[in-house]
Parts: sequence; C-alpha cells; structure tokens
Amino acid sequence: MRPDARPKLGKGVKLRRDRDGGVMLLVPEGALVLNSSAAVALELVDGERSLSQIVEAVVQQFEVEPSRARADITDLFDRLSERRFVRG
Amino acid sequence: MTLRPLSLLCELTYRCNLQCPYCYNPLDYPRYRDELSTAQWSGVLESAAALGVVQAHFSGGEPTLRRDLAELVRAASRAELYTNLITQGTFLDDALLDSLLESGLDHVQISIQAPEAGAADRIAGAVVHERKLEALARVRRRDVALTLNCVLHRRNHDALGAVIAFAERHGIERLELANVQFYGWAFRNRAALMPTLAQVREAERLVAAARERLRGTMEIVYVLPDYFGEYPKPCMNGWGREFLTVTPNGTVLPCPAASSIASLRFDNVRDRALEDIWRNGDAFERYRGTAWMPEPCRSCDRREVDWGGCRCQAFLLAGDAAATDPACALSPDHGIVTALRNGAGEAEPVARRA
Repeated sequence: MRPDARPKLGKGVKLRRDRDGGVMLLVPEGALVLNSSAAVALELVDGERSLSQIVEAVVQQFEVEPSRARADITDLFDRLSERRFVRG
Repeated sequence: MTLRPLSLLCELTYRCNLQCPYCYNPLDYPRYRDELSTAQWSGVLESAAALGVVQAHFSGGEPTLRRDLAELVRAASRAELYTNLITQGTFLDDALLDSLLESGLDHVQISIQAPEAGAADRIAGAVVHERKLEALARVRRRDVALTLNCVLHRRNHDALGAVIAFAERHGIERLELANVQFYGWAFRNRAALMPTLAQVREAERLVAAARERLRGTMEIVYVLPDYFGEYPKPCMNGWGREFLTVTPNGTVLPCPAASSIASLRFDNVRDRALEDIWRNGDAFERYRGTAWMPEPCRSCDRREVDWGGCRCQAFLLAGDAAATDPACALSPDHGIVTALRNGAGEAEPVARRA
C-alpha cells in the first residue's frame, strides 16, 4: 500500500475492543486478534488519514524506530488488503 | 487458562425446502422440531456474548424460514455480536433483506449447488437456481458483505472452473469452495458424493491459478476434502476450544456434527445455563485439550496442531469417538479412509427428505 493511500475497512469488517482491552478485527466468518500496535493502527483507519499519518501516530505512541514501524505497518496493511479487509 | 468461545453457530431450524444430498444435518432431524422460542434464542445470544463470543452465525436448515430472524439478528447486534447469515437464498426477498440489514446484519453467505440451473436444481431437488440468482443480485445492490458458497462433491467437482467463472461474472468478492464434509446426510451418501483423486488434484490446480489471477479482487476460500490429506483437519480448532453450536431445540454441541456421536449426551439450554454447559458440561469436557488422547496422538508433535482431528469422524468411521481420526495417515484405522476414498461409486445419492 502506498504511503499516501487513505485506507478504510473493507465491507463486513469491524474492529472490536473487548472489555479486557484486547482488540479483534472481525471479518466474515472469522476473527483476527491484533497486537497492540496493529490495534492502534487499525483504530486510526477512517478513509481520511493516510497510511503515513497512521505510521506516524504509531511511532509516537510506541517509541519505535520509524523505518521499522513503516515497514511493519505497511506489511500489515498489504496483507489485510490482499484479503480485502482494508482497502487503500 | 479459561477457554473462551469466540463463535456461536445458531442452527435456528432444520426445516428446509431443498433436498441436497450433501446436507450435514442429522438424519433424525424431525426430532428437533420443538424449536427454541424467540425469547430463548435471545437469551442464548446474550449468554454467549457474556461468555466472550464475538460472532453469531445464523444457519439451519434454512434460517430464513424462522419468521423472527430479523428480531434475532437485532438481539445479536444489541449484544455486540458480529452477525452472519448462512442461507440458500430462496426466500431472501427485498422486504426480508432490508429488515435484516436494518437489524444490523453484517454478512450474508448464499450457496449455489452448481453454476447453471439444470445441474443446480437437480442437486437441490427443487427448481430454485433462478431465485438464488435474484437473491444474489439483491444483496449486491445493497452495501453489505457477501460470500458465495458452493459445496463440492463428485457430481459437481468438474464444474469448479465454471463456478469460479460464475463468481467473477456476478462480481463476487469472496468465494467459498467447500468440499463436502461427510456428516449427516452426506455421510449416508458418501459413496455417491466422494470426489475422485483426479478431481481433487484438478481442483487444487484450478484454485491455485484462480487465486493468483484474482488476487486482490476475489478472496477464494477452499475447504480441503475430508479424506484426502495426510493429516486430519484441526476440527473446530479443538473440541470445546472456540466454537459453540446450538441446535434448533436448544441442544448445545461442541461442533455441528457432534450429535452423530451416539456415545455422548448433550446438555440443553432449557435445562442448564450456557456458561455452565460450556465450562463443565460432560460432552465439552470429554475431548477438551490433550489428556483424553490415545496413541499415536498422545505423543505426537502435532497434538496441539490438529487436536486429534475430528471426534465425529472417529466415531462414524472407527466406532470410537476417542480414537485418532482415521483421516490421519498415522491412525491404525486409516485403511477405512483409503478404502472409502478409492471406493467412490456411481450409486445415486438419497435426497434429504423433508
């Protein structure tokens, strides 16, 4: 996914935060458990923010190395968009 | 660690207007005619959500035969459950579809029997293919997630390429190609439905090529055939680990086929709280985890990968639900499966009776 893409969740895809704080991506006939940085990234997905803005927000919140965060999150979004769970 | 069910399958009714010979419903389904009421189902949905369930799947039989379906979808949505309707689509008119969507339905799965009307209607035992096409178009006109499903067996396996082409033509974004699973009526008809090895190999090739070609356009889910792998399927991801099924009359099962295991007794939500059944019910406890396993499972590296395979298959084929799944090449009973696989017959299947 390109850095200037403005991803949104795919059809029939919902983000759910549990009472215990865990976050899941609910998709047709399945649920993916997200780690904390993936959860933060996906909670920022709204069709308005760009992928690079989302990466920036994750970098600030988790104090991770920017290039590493960019690679990880882009990879996550690429995998999710291949299954049409996010669209860029 | 406390296990948490994630998924609830609500088999609202076993009634159906089709007679597919591959139906997994139990042969004695008239026994389940005493269906739960709307209030009882709503209670099941709330209890399931409290246990940690995040998704409710409405199936059957044909779930749209329940007149309170929209009300049940609303009850599930209110409990913050993701809702999925698994239907053959013949009753999905505009009014019903709109009321389901207003109630919060998140996803619709519609099945076809084959890509063209003649073959499809022969398999369904009813003239319904055209109505399914109308239902597909109706769902596509609305902004809701849709999966097209086709159960594959010996009699339609050769049409798999045409099923994929049908899905492309109809703008399907998610296609589920599910090899028949041999339970209920399908087990009764296994000789007539068993695909040949050549069909299975060709299907693998076609699916791999279509996935490559349609990457990013259509997701293709391919459910492997039951008797052709080296290892068994990790059935339900382990007995009593993630899945709950409630049958039309309120019986609670660890998997939708479990009622075929005559050696188990299952609790009912009319007599016992769902949470208690999940945590302490005898049937759930019996094959949970790995302690119940015999050899070769007990010392196998894969015991927490495939969880010993399928208990129903072990019971149906080896006569013992605690046996290693005969579908596993390491099972001492594996010869039963190879014999069935090689014995794909020309016999006519028996239609599911209403």
